[in-house]
Amino acid sequence: MSAHAHEHKVKRYTGLMDWLTTVDHKKIGILYMIAGLFFFLIGGLEAILIRVQLMEPNNDFVSADTFNELITMHGTTMIFLAAMPLLFALMNAVIPLQIGARDVAFPFLNSLGFWTFFFGGLLLNLSWFASAVPDAGWTSYVPLASNTYSSGHGVDYYVIGLQIAGIGTLLGGINFMATIINMRAPGMSFMRMPMFTWAIFITSALIVFAFPVLTVGLVALMFDRLFEANFFEAGNGGNEVLWEHIFWVFGHPEVYILIMPAFGIISEIVSTFSRKRLFGYSSMVFATVLIAFLGFMVWAHHMFTVGLGPVANALFSIATMLIAVPTGVKIFNWLFTLWGGSIRFTTASLFAIGFIPTFVMGGVTGVMLASAPADFQYHDSYFVVAHFHYVIVGGLIFGIFAGLHYWWPKMFGRMLNEGLGKITFWTFFTGFHLTFFVQHFLGLLGMPRRVFTYLPNQGFDTMNMISTIGAFLMGIGTIAFLLNVFITWAKPRNAAADAWEDGRTLEWTIPSPPPEYNFKQTPLVRGYDAWWKEKMDGNKEMTPAEPVGPIHMPSPSIIPLVMSIGLFIAGYGFMYDNLIVGGVGLLITLGGMFFRSVFDDHGFHIEPEDQDKGVHA
Amino acid sequence: MSAHDHAEGLPHQPETATLEGRNKILGFWIFLGAETVLFGTLFSAYLALRHNVMDGPHPSELFQLPMVFAATMILLTSSLTSVFAVQALHSHKKNAMVGWLLVTILLGLGFLGLEIYEFSEYVHEGHGFTTSAFSSAFYTLVGFHGAHVAFGILWIGLLILQIFKKDLTVVTAPKIYVSAIYWHFIDVVWVFIFTVVYLMGKVG
Amino acid sequence: MSSNHSATGEQAKRHRTEGPKKHVVAFVMSLALTIIAFAAVAAGEINTTFTYIILVSMAILQVFVQMAFWMHMKDRGHLFPIIAIFAGVIIVFTMVIMALYWVWW
Repeated sequence: MSAHAHEHKVKRYTGLMDWLTTVDHKKIGILYMIAGLFFFLIGGLEAILIRVQLMEPNNDFVSADTFNELITMHGTTMIFLAAMPLLFALMNAVIPLQIGARDVAFPFLNSLGFWTFFFGGLLLNLSWFASAVPDAGWTSYVPLASNTYSSGHGVDYYVIGLQIAGIGTLLGGINFMATIINMRAPGMSFMRMPMFTWAIFITSALIVFAFPVLTVGLVALMFDRLFEANFFEAGNGGNEVLWEHIFWVFGHPEVYILIMPAFGIISEIVSTFSRKRLFGYSSMVFATVLIAFLGFMVWAHHMFTVGLGPVANALFSIATMLIAVPTGVKIFNWLFTLWGGSIRFTTASLFAIGFIPTFVMGGVTGVMLASAPADFQYHDSYFVVAHFHYVIVGGLIFGIFAGLHYWWPKMFGRMLNEGLGKITFWTFFTGFHLTFFVQHFLGLLGMPRRVFTYLPNQGFDTMNMISTIGAFLMGIGTIAFLLNVFITWAKPRNAAADAWEDGRTLEWTIPSPPPEYNFKQTPLVRGYDAWWKEKMDGNKEMTPAEPVGPIHMPSPSIIPLVMSIGLFIAGYGFMYDNLIVGGVGLLITLGGMFFRSVFDDHGFHIEPEDQDKGVHA
Repeated sequence: MSAHDHAEGLPHQPETATLEGRNKILGFWIFLGAETVLFGTLFSAYLALRHNVMDGPHPSELFQLPMVFAATMILLTSSLTSVFAVQALHSHKKNAMVGWLLVTILLGLGFLGLEIYEFSEYVHEGHGFTTSAFSSAFYTLVGFHGAHVAFGILWIGLLILQIFKKDLTVVTAPKIYVSAIYWHFIDVVWVFIFTVVYLMGKVG
Repeated sequence: MSSNHSATGEQAKRHRTEGPKKHVVAFVMSLALTIIAFAAVAAGEINTTFTYIILVSMAILQVFVQMAFWMHMKDRGHLFPIIAIFAGVIIVFTMVIMALYWVWW
């Protein structure tokens, strides 16, 4: 009766095939990180080109059309293809370890989520080679993005690329919610979960409830563009404001999807490197949940100037300002955690400490923008650009850098070089503030965003030059990080299990990098900061919750890759009106689903005597 | 396909007997939360655009209540038969379960047939996909639901074949349970479609 | 997490003795609510606003009945399903308000 009674032969791959077929969350995390960094470099290059164009007045470094393509692809790439996967990288690398699990709830879906994201992102970026680049802005507002004003295939690449990548993200969200609910080690109640786990739990919920809205919006836009539907065609009764609503009902939670994990990362790092328990843990949890809830109720603050009327504007104004309260709670909790702690200034903790004032600045301009009447002045100016780069780069990217430096030894077994890390921090931090601080004033002086050049002697010249210099400094910071990665690559794998010696959570109780089954014995959690508690009680390791025994593992599978390639082919088919190619692509994907459903994965077991072999992931 | 009773080997609720089974059910519920938002967005698009019929027929002229009522009854009954299938699953009656699943599929096919007939009638009356914003939103919303029904039929059909091949086990039981939850969810969505689209459209 | 292993003997016995009765009752209730809704429209003589109220309340009632009985949401261990669906419903609610009042036609 039992499917596991007899052992099935499972083919295990090595080399490239291992990476293409892996369902191990740690390897998928590394794949997400490589893909995310790749797209981060592309998006960064686009940013540099934008800044070079804006370096001086009346510049003709790029044409106006190219500039539109650059800003569109920069925004879309950075948010969907760089920031999201880098977060997924950290989620995958850390969450199962933090909750004492051997893998995520759905290892197969995890792999499928990565590959669909990757092929969606690839499709979007191949638009550069097809000379049909999306140029309607990352928000793709209609009617600009409609057939009438964007007749080429550019916006099609945006619609279909994001649609495919969005499927992957949604799968990831479902997976991590189920993982955190069902897979926690014995004793780890919800209120004993590490703050990063809480942040990811809430982020996943936001993904689950926000991405379907984007899916529908993109479907509607796709139907309008490819099949002559009339959702947004005013001439046939369509409604352009509807697109703005749908986009921002998704888009606003999306920015919280981006920032929440950073909140979690900062909480872990501030606490670890202050060698103190996180101040106000339960208020942190409550604030996270409240921000997520309010995050769904504020989307129209992106639309104050549309003319929704004073009632709507007032409601959304108030709801937006309310978010400052739980966010303030978080800021103060971090400060109180630092207060009186014996702080170690590692690169990770520098990024975390740099995050706090930077994010506060972004938050303050956020409250300014939340005031509807004032927003009429700031709208579509560089003030807005400065604001969202302060929260996204100063919040999220600082958080990601902090997290990468912090968990790098756990992911790869090697410590990043601290000297180079500090160079990364200082150049990136200085460059960031140089680039974006002056943009507040550019905005207040009236420089509009998304315009490819400006005339001299309006007071814009010097500040734009400063901004461009800052952008190059950020580029140097990124290069320093990459150098650090390559130099570290050549070093021996010698990171200790508790690499920073002050680890508080379960990931620091197992080897760096962890064996493929993570925990030889599932640990018993006896309190918040489980590992710290054991250390304070004088224990050298966690109390196991089960005897040593064979460990069941899922089999690797090529199906996720095949299914994603199917979607990729289908996307191209539909885009170029070739329904046969589109149908074949969909059939490949459905065939993958069929195989997955019909042929059960029995997995395999790692016997106790084999568990100490090949400890490296 | 022997009809022997599994009661001695199989736990009472085989779908939640393994961690994989519990994960699958929980994950699927979360997916349904996402589906709720997906259909909710389609509904809100429809609500925003429902008056913009342009040159096409108005919903109150277009919709035929008897046909909608028949479709509703078929889908409602199919939801009942799928819950019977789950009951048979819990008492390990494999043949009864497969029987109820087959009835569910047949009813689903009936619903789908009626919907295709309905759509072709509408196109005949000048209510095509590209006629107006209303028609685009209508076909997208109702069509998404129809696509879910079609997918459900294929899925449950595949599961019936698997039951014959693999028998009722702790691996197949969660699949059956989850597909039943999916089928109920489709019916729940239809309740709102016949209310908001058809009945309210008929009222004006 | 093994706390979900809640199919204790007693519970199992209670569940097994439950016949199809409650599901048939749920079916009859759904049927009645559907017929009331269709009848309210077919009658055609009630004022529009009132008809809308009847229609929406019948739909909500019916969905509650089906979710509670057929989707087993009233059973134990369904906390997260309830949270998932209702979180979705709250978002849908705000979007419906948006579609009805804030699209600027």
